[in-house]
Amino acid sequence: MAQFLQQLVNGLSIGSIYALMAVGYSLVYSIMNFSNFAHGSVIMLGAYLGYYSMTLLGLPFWLAFIAAALGTALIAVVLERLAYKPLRDRKATFLYFIITAMGASIFIDNFVIATIGPTPKMFPAVFAQGPILFGKIALGRIDLAMFVISAICLAALIIFIDYTKMGKAIQATSFNMKASTLMGINTNMVIFIVFAIGGALAGIAGVLYGMKYQVFPQIGGITLKSFIAAVFGGLGSLPGALLGALVLGLVETLVSGYLSTQYRDLIAFLILITMLIVRPSGIMGKNAEDKA
Amino acid sequence: MLSVRDLHVSYGGIRALRGVSIDVHKGEIITIIGANGAGKSTLLNAISGILKPSQGEITFNGAPLKREPSKNVKLGICHVPEGRLVFANLTVKDNLALGAYLRTDRKKIASDLERVYELFPRIKERSSQIAGTLSGGEQQMLAMGRALMTDGDLVLMDEPSLGLAPILVHTVFQIIKEILRLGKTILLVEQNANMALKIADRAYVLEQGLIVKTGPAADIASDPAIRAAYLGSKSVAGG
Ligand SMILES: Nc1ncnc2c1ncn2[C@@H]1O[C@H](COP(=O)(O)OP(=O)(O)OP(=O)(O)O)[C@@H](O)[C@H]1O
Ligand SMILES: [Mg+2]
Repeated sequence: MAQFLQQLVNGLSIGSIYALMAVGYSLVYSIMNFSNFAHGSVIMLGAYLGYYSMTLLGLPFWLAFIAAALGTALIAVVLERLAYKPLRDRKATFLYFIITAMGASIFIDNFVIATIGPTPKMFPAVFAQGPILFGKIALGRIDLAMFVISAICLAALIIFIDYTKMGKAIQATSFNMKASTLMGINTNMVIFIVFAIGGALAGIAGVLYGMKYQVFPQIGGITLKSFIAAVFGGLGSLPGALLGALVLGLVETLVSGYLSTQYRDLIAFLILITMLIVRPSGIMGKNAEDKA
Repeated sequence: MLSVRDLHVSYGGIRALRGVSIDVHKGEIITIIGANGAGKSTLLNAISGILKPSQGEITFNGAPLKREPSKNVKLGICHVPEGRLVFANLTVKDNLALGAYLRTDRKKIASDLERVYELFPRIKERSSQIAGTLSGGEQQMLAMGRALMTDGDLVLMDEPSLGLAPILVHTVFQIIKEILRLGKTILLVEQNANMALKIADRAYVLEQGLIVKTGPAADIASDPAIRAAYLGSKSVAGG
């Protein structure tokens, strides 16, 4: 029982960071109907920004989070302007967006490898080493931080989406872009906000990921699992992304704990493929077509 | 108030509008009638800025309209699109609030909301309901209410009676007259030419992207060719 609870806690912690990454995929998908595969690279850049904020600039860790979030929000917005806006202006189909996203991702990853280099970097120690004990359950301090910081960010996001005028405008645009522009909602503005939010959360997720593991150029590829979570929950749906991420985190830790770590990713992709076959729109998805 | 001159709109190779000119004056109800595919929706979409014309001019109160719908909303164009397009994922109240998205005059927004609730009591009863769960008729009322919340002076309506039961069609036309009384100007696209010609001041007949006839609604309604093509064999009561 204690072991099970322990896995549950670990799963929630992993799941919460997947959620932080997955909402970025979902937000963009909900407005633009394509999967922004450059999101993983933005997460990776966030990890580096956090790392250098602490090592080069000597910022305390909480300022490093803010610096990384601001930096990646800017990067995501600039990426949208340079890579996707020209496609939007030409009314390109989603396939062009995906190819462009993949291209941007390859470019960013290799740019980092070429300039910073492939060697993984360790964050300076932020949290004390020993875990916090709750009875028999041991909670790593970084895991706790992951859960708390993710939960705060996600709660703020949900409040923004559900209770502010701009949040409602985002939901309206996601449902029908044409009708939303007839209300006076500026689509470019909505897309700007969505990329800025997705980018900021990517930065925070990247720093957390880097603190838990290491910082290296391939982080983006690994965060693809948060994309699985987004698809599983239903691309384009925020609650779906949260649910999918928590389920994926739990499944992964349970598989690692009771079967073997080697099966972990296998099961994750198995879930993705099964979901795409059985219910392509995910648990709470927006629509079933063109989920690419 | 609105002047459209020599408007051309194409979808790729399909020329949907081929030189359309219309005028709408303040306080009028103007109707555009025409068969399926004549280009009625295309015309409204070009006016509100959803579609980019390849040629021609659209001016509103003397100034050219923008190629961006959200900017035209600010100028006073209020478009109730074909198929309603209510935000089915949001509540009725949220839909109405989004109509007032660009507005900051809180007091006027509140009184306009009261006005909309008076026009559509059914909508008021259902203000907390998710819009996607409304009936077709209720969604049409909501789409009209939401457009009124933009407080635009010119209301473009694309087939508001489409798919509604006869009794509701009657209500919708009743409401259009009340909207006129609020001081709005109305450009109404309808396939239900009978009803549209009864409430309109003037009418344009659109055929395959061209205006083939225009005049006072009563004259159009009594034109034998028009009656044969659009009004069926039924005689037109009133005028
Ligand atoms: N998105 C589009 N792509 C290609 N052709 C289109 C598109 N929308 C409309 N058309 C074509 O343009 C012409 C005019 O269409 P439009 O929707 O304006 O007609 P309408 O008069 O509103 O018809 P209805 O009464 O059926 O609504 C039609 O031939 C239609 O097939
Ligand atoms: Mg039409």
